[in-house]
Amino acid sequence: MTALVLLVVLLPLLGGLTVAVGASSFLTGTAMVAGGLGAFASAVVLAVRVSGSGAFHTWSGFIYVDSLGAFFALVVSLVVVLASFGSVAYISAEEERGEFSHFQVRLYFVFFSVFASAMLAVFLTGNLGLLWTLIEASTLASVVLVGLEAKARSLEAAWKYVIISSFGVTIALVATLFLFYSASALHLSADQRLTWAYLFAHGHSLAPASMRLAFLLAVIGYGTKVGLVPMHTWLPDAHSEAPSPVSAMLSAGLLNTGMYAIIRYQAIARAALGTAYPSSILLLFGFLSVFLGVMFLVLGGNFKRLFAYSSVEHMGVISVALGFGGVLGIYGALLQVLTHAIGKAVLFLSSGHVVLGYRTRESAKVRGMLGSLPLAGAVLLLASLAVAGSPPFGVFLSELTIVRAGFAGSAVVGPVLAGLLVLLLVIGFISLLATTLGMVAGDGPPAGSVVAYPKLSGRVLAAVPLVGGLAALAVLGLWVPVGLNELIMHSVKVVL
Amino acid sequence: MVELSVAVTGSVERLSATSLAGTLVTLSSVLMLLAAFACLGSKLFSRYVVYYAFQSVVLAFACGVVAFHFQSADLWALAFITLAVKGVAIPLATRGLLLERLELRRDVALSTGLSTSLIIGALLTGFAFLVIPPADLPHGVVATSAVALSTALVLLGGLCMVVRRHIVAQLIGWLITENGVFLGAITLVATFPFIVEAGIFLDLVAAVLIMIVFVSGITRSLAEATASELRELRG
Repeated sequence: MTALVLLVVLLPLLGGLTVAVGASSFLTGTAMVAGGLGAFASAVVLAVRVSGSGAFHTWSGFIYVDSLGAFFALVVSLVVVLASFGSVAYISAEEERGEFSHFQVRLYFVFFSVFASAMLAVFLTGNLGLLWTLIEASTLASVVLVGLEAKARSLEAAWKYVIISSFGVTIALVATLFLFYSASALHLSADQRLTWAYLFAHGHSLAPASMRLAFLLAVIGYGTKVGLVPMHTWLPDAHSEAPSPVSAMLSAGLLNTGMYAIIRYQAIARAALGTAYPSSILLLFGFLSVFLGVMFLVLGGNFKRLFAYSSVEHMGVISVALGFGGVLGIYGALLQVLTHAIGKAVLFLSSGHVVLGYRTRESAKVRGMLGSLPLAGAVLLLASLAVAGSPPFGVFLSELTIVRAGFAGSAVVGPVLAGLLVLLLVIGFISLLATTLGMVAGDGPPAGSVVAYPKLSGRVLAAVPLVGGLAALAVLGLWVPVGLNELIMHSVKVVL
Repeated sequence: MVELSVAVTGSVERLSATSLAGTLVTLSSVLMLLAAFACLGSKLFSRYVVYYAFQSVVLAFACGVVAFHFQSADLWALAFITLAVKGVAIPLATRGLLLERLELRRDVALSTGLSTSLIIGALLTGFAFLVIPPADLPHGVVATSAVALSTALVLLGGLCMVVRRHIVAQLIGWLITENGVFLGAITLVATFPFIVEAGIFLDLVAAVLIMIVFVSGITRSLAEATASELRELRG
């Protein structure tokens, strides 16, 4: 099992290592994709084994895998696979155009690998101190990717990203300190006082005052990484300025690492303080995020910023689901994590086609994609339908579950909140679709004038994640596979 | 006299706030607070750096006192890292790479007057004592008032980032916040196992921030832009 955990964490580094020793771009691409696929396969095996035989821990809790961790590792390793395909195509296309120097390309692959590896490691540790360190490490690795273009705008975005999210992560450090402090009365060793499983099991004997503070600070601190309003301000800039595969990794991977930390803290807080306090905090931040995300969707403009605000909205929906709580709420939240991750990865990767083909990020300047870039246009339309929550895609199913969880909640408040959520989601649906329909339909530039990927190999590599991801989303909308359903049910039991 | 304790693997170490170590840590926290106020009340970039360096050296001293008291190798390591990186390397890098290179002297991008920001700072300090009253800490560590003072430092650092729009000043504000967090960490939970790693990672963040300003300083576009001018990246 230890070997399996190490495989999940270390295999994504394969691509970075190959490029660091100066291998050819073909070899690097192969290693990137193979490393991602290997990590995904290991995560699947890990999930199956954990689902069957319960949590696994070793190295005094520094390695700790339960169903929840395995589920998140599965989701993020899938995102890494999709983004690896996208990266190889996107970066080599940019290099051939002369947008990126050879040095920038090497920098990209090395830090992409480190970023992926740090994110996956977050889910496989039970020590909340190590979890903090890994989340900070993933921030540092991704800063380089955000600022890679080294233009004034991307450097500004990188600055904003690192200073806001590091401020947030510093707050999360204070949360970790208070959590550690709240366990003072327990006779545990220093490392055990930070191990999630011990804290969860002894939740009732944690000092309530400092636990309350620890949870609030954790939601603010890790919420900065998640992009919860009002700590979300770095998110649209970073997502819009980063190369598209990195935007996919940020939106579908990084945000989930923060959400994972919040789920862990919520479980401890629920054990220590009861349901009401953590739920009300998550509902507050969740609704703020959904509201603001939807409002910016209405405004339109830069389509990558738009997709970023859609991430703010979706992270808000997940927080609301966690706030609704219960088996249904947490099940819906986890399903939403999976479906949003796949949908947003596909959406950002297809936006990479647009950026390369039209050389703009303004949605008003993109018209007639169905004629000029048929595959990317079709995928962009279908993926935005999926992300906005239209049947028959997975997001519809998870959002339906969340709304049901709201109606199943407390007598008056639950249904009112669920109704409000539906209203906001409908507004979001209309606004997102209005923008992407405008980009896809209409009279575009003549065929042949817009070329995203000049080479056949690039076209094939870039098409794989789009088609694969969209197919997975369609399947998830109709039917949640038995094994996956079981894994999510086990994950729900872990935190309840 | 306030009795305080720290749980260390089964045994409990007790220390009163009036002991020598407690007095020294409290004194250090007060000096750090003064340095933060000095920063808030200044308009010269070179002063910011000097005050920050002073604050970091005091933090390293306090860290050494706690390390000596608890015989903790981790805290000794943190004290030396703090002294070397925050006390010497970051101030020198900020001065050499940013201030001299970009010829930064007077900070004009202030959104409030100096006296206003000092008054807000004083209110924030009072607020910190209000929310974390020393008498309420059940079993804290060396010096109880240091926890409230560290909270005040975190808030003052945040205030610096809010009222100063120049990014180098914001950088200093973030660094002050970080010092406050570490002061709180060593006084509240001296046995926290990840303190050294946390220190190293946050120092790395500082290095990255300095590097971004340095790289973009060559193009001259970022250092001259203030937050209110970044209209294109609104959100």
